[in-house]
Amino acid sequence: MNILVTGASKGVGLEICKTLLREGHAVYGVSRTFTDDLKKLAEGNCAFHFKSVDLGDSAAAKDAVFSADFIPNSVPLGGFVNNAAQVYDDIVTNISLDRLKAMYDVNVFTPMLLTKYAIRNMIFNRGGGSIVHISSISAHTGYKGLAMYASSKGALEAFSKNTAREWGEKGVRSNVVVPGFMDTAMSSTLSDEQKNRIYKRTSLKKATEVESVAETVAFLLSDKARSITGQNINVDAGTI
Amino acid sequence: MEKLESIIRLIQDNKGAPSRAPIAAETRFREDLGFDSFDLAEFTVHVEDAFGVDVFEGGVVETVGEVKKKLKI
Repeated sequence: MNILVTGASKGVGLEICKTLLREGHAVYGVSRTFTDDLKKLAEGNCAFHFKSVDLGDSAAAKDAVFSADFIPNSVPLGGFVNNAAQVYDDIVTNISLDRLKAMYDVNVFTPMLLTKYAIRNMIFNRGGGSIVHISSISAHTGYKGLAMYASSKGALEAFSKNTAREWGEKGVRSNVVVPGFMDTAMSSTLSDEQKNRIYKRTSLKKATEVESVAETVAFLLSDKARSITGQNINVDAGTI
Repeated sequence: MEKLESIIRLIQDNKGAPSRAPIAAETRFREDLGFDSFDLAEFTVHVEDAFGVDVFEGGVVETVGEVKKKLKI
């Protein structure tokens, strides 16, 4: 299956690419930078395709991704993993409209537009497909400083649910994976004490494992999940 | 027009309602051809692939003639 993965350069996105390649899929990875980790992944692996795209430019992202040299209609897309995200960490009384808009471009507007064209590709090829959005537990539990970020993930979850309702009859499924706090670059600004406090709020008393998130995404993309759509799947070490 | 007509025929075939009734500029997608929003989406995708123009992007298009005008054919 041909699968588009955004935010492929590090963390969960990189792990998702590795997992999907291991399963024998062709992966079309997109991120701003072609990191050393990605270069290593691409070496000698003709099933991995990479394109550097600024997902903060919502108007241009579609043309860059669904272009003749990357994913034209002649590449039938079976899956789309919307993983790229930007964190805006601040308290509500400090909201800056510019930063808010920049985050919504990456976290909401570009994903919606890429979903539009992913579904168009799926319609063209009449093969159906599976869309997986990566959300965040912050949309459900609430954390100080994450109100804006969490709101963007809440928007994605609602978008996914409605996409599932709208396109189910055409064989397009849409689900969300809701990871708990992982030990990735995205949470690197947190101190050990803050992290431990967060982990204490989980049933397993530890960080969510990136590999577990990636495996869940791979499962939702696969035919094994053919009766699952419109769902949010928490992979969060049992966050309470 | 030949290419456009072949796309319309493709959508009609795909929706299980094959027809070879004549298509004119005045032909309306919904009322005359019975296209629903999914059929129109499929039509748009094929037109964009063939002509490089997203005919529904600027708003609602109701007739074949309006599409021809947007495609300049």
